[in-house]
Amino acid sequence: MRNFLSVICLVSLTVLVSSFYGDEVDKASRKITLAFHHQVGNDALVLGNPVKNILGETISVEKFKYYVSNFSVTNDKGVTTKLPVQYFLIDEADPLSKNINLSIPENIIVTRISFLLGVDSIKNVSGIQTGALDPLKGMFWTWNSGYIMAKMEGVSESAATGGNHFTYDIGGFRKGMNTTKRIDLNIDNKEKNLQEVHINADINRWFKGSSELKIAETPICHSPGALAMRIADNYSTMFSINSIR
Amino acid sequence: MRFAKNIWVLLTIVLTGAGWITVDNRYFKPKPVKFIIPKGWPQPVYDFSKNPLTEEGFALGRKLFYDGQLSKDGNFSCGACHQQFGAFNTYDHNLSHGFNNSLTTRNAPGLFNLAWQKEFMWDGGINHLDLQPLAPITAENEMAETIENVLKKLKADKEYRKLFKAAFGDETINTQRLGKAMSQFLLQMVSSNSKYDKVMRGEASFILPEQLGYDIFKKKCVSCHTEPMFTDYSFRNTGIPPDRYLKDMGRMKITGNPEDSLKFKVPSLRNVAMTFPYGHDGRFFSLMSVFEHYRKNMTVMPNTDSLLSKKMALSNFEIGQLTAFLYTLTDSTFLKDKRFAPPGFDNSGKAPVDIHQ
Repeated sequence: MRNFLSVICLVSLTVLVSSFYGDEVDKASRKITLAFHHQVGNDALVLGNPVKNILGETISVEKFKYYVSNFSVTNDKGVTTKLPVQYFLIDEADPLSKNINLSIPENIIVTRISFLLGVDSIKNVSGIQTGALDPLKGMFWTWNSGYIMAKMEGVSESAATGGNHFTYDIGGFRKGMNTTKRIDLNIDNKEKNLQEVHINADINRWFKGSSELKIAETPICHSPGALAMRIADNYSTMFSINSIR
Repeated sequence: MRFAKNIWVLLTIVLTGAGWITVDNRYFKPKPVKFIIPKGWPQPVYDFSKNPLTEEGFALGRKLFYDGQLSKDGNFSCGACHQQFGAFNTYDHNLSHGFNNSLTTRNAPGLFNLAWQKEFMWDGGINHLDLQPLAPITAENEMAETIENVLKKLKADKEYRKLFKAAFGDETINTQRLGKAMSQFLLQMVSSNSKYDKVMRGEASFILPEQLGYDIFKKKCVSCHTEPMFTDYSFRNTGIPPDRYLKDMGRMKITGNPEDSLKFKVPSLRNVAMTFPYGHDGRFFSLMSVFEHYRKNMTVMPNTDSLLSKKMALSNFEIGQLTAFLYTLTDSTFLKDKRFAPPGFDNSGKAPVDIHQ
């Protein structure tokens, strides 16, 4: 009897103590800011502003947004640390969304930042999410469950569609249709106190990468498949480091 | 000794209590509901640990299911096209009516035993029950509303704020909770009390035509309409040529694979007598026309199911006995279960009679 009570007592004590330490104790970490800058070639992207793209087609971009997730950082010794999994929706129309804060280990010299452009397959098959992944954000297909990884929509006289709209909604996570892209950005950095990394995203890369995307020929992509994967191949090269601070 | 023991007991109680208070100091205790798996059925595929069933969650889901506010003009609730007396299909309609005099492109299936279903819609495009309601809510030819507006309407409604708090612990109303609440209601719609089930449980016995029909069924139908769910949830081409206006290519739309052209999900045959018309676009008016399709009218295509490559031989006698058996799959307890009727509605009316034999 006494033994039994002791066990219960011990269990209770454990419950009590663990309840004080419910949250995982963070290892020493600090904040770093990634700032995304959207470009058309050398010029800043301005929504609704007609410009010529790299293929010479005039475009006026109305929507430009994409998911970034699953970040990791690599130090000067080549050791990579996976950061806690987070999802961000970078939206040109929402300036706040273009600066994101990550929590990275203290006292390391960051020489590479890696992330997934898109949303990993697990979150595509786990029901309804909240926050950046809320289907309410207009980046989720309800008829064919799955996230739109990246979206560029606008108007172009080259588009032979109603209202001259071109719409590229790029998604697909299943095998053989996967549009998520691993992005590695090397940073020329020797400091431990790196605060900000400014990243350019050039929409010209959507139109010219491993293949050409002519609006006159292909103004619409709305479903997973070969075309979506081809466009994702193109835009996976759109990022580059602008500057660090 | 006695004293020491008392101290131990006291200390245990105090520590357990203290631990409890620090672990969860909010007052939120919804009444749990146990999900009962009918005897002999497989494990459900729905992950209940992510959405534990409660009475409060069910009540909220039930109200949402029957609320026209989820549609753009307030006319179309989920229940408008999923009617209980038709096992939650659209009774006697090949296609369902949507916003602004529109029609759907597919036949609304009956809703039951959804906890066992992994993929939804005729083409299996939706991969989680929580996500399913978002498709009809946002479809232009169904409820034609945006999720944003639905949430806005619910948030403005005092009653809903109360119900969400009761179900989830606080008044937050978001897409995830909307989906989970709907699932709470849908998951509990279990149909397992037909005459067939009673016979399997040893509580009733088939009359001769039913037994003969069951024997034929086990020979000719069961490999796709597998017991006890009466579907194996696979996608198959059963030789139904595409409608020239609807141009529905089925599963291929989801997978992009030409092999999947005109494949559709094998529907469950539970409550089949109540879920006419049949087929993904409701083109078959009666069971008789389905049998005629299989034995005569099929268009055998290169990717038509190998089990049907020579159509299906069925005699008039077999069709008669099969029909008798299929009638034993009607679960009148489910069709009249008051828990699934609109809130406050006493569902005592008789189910309409099938006039399409």
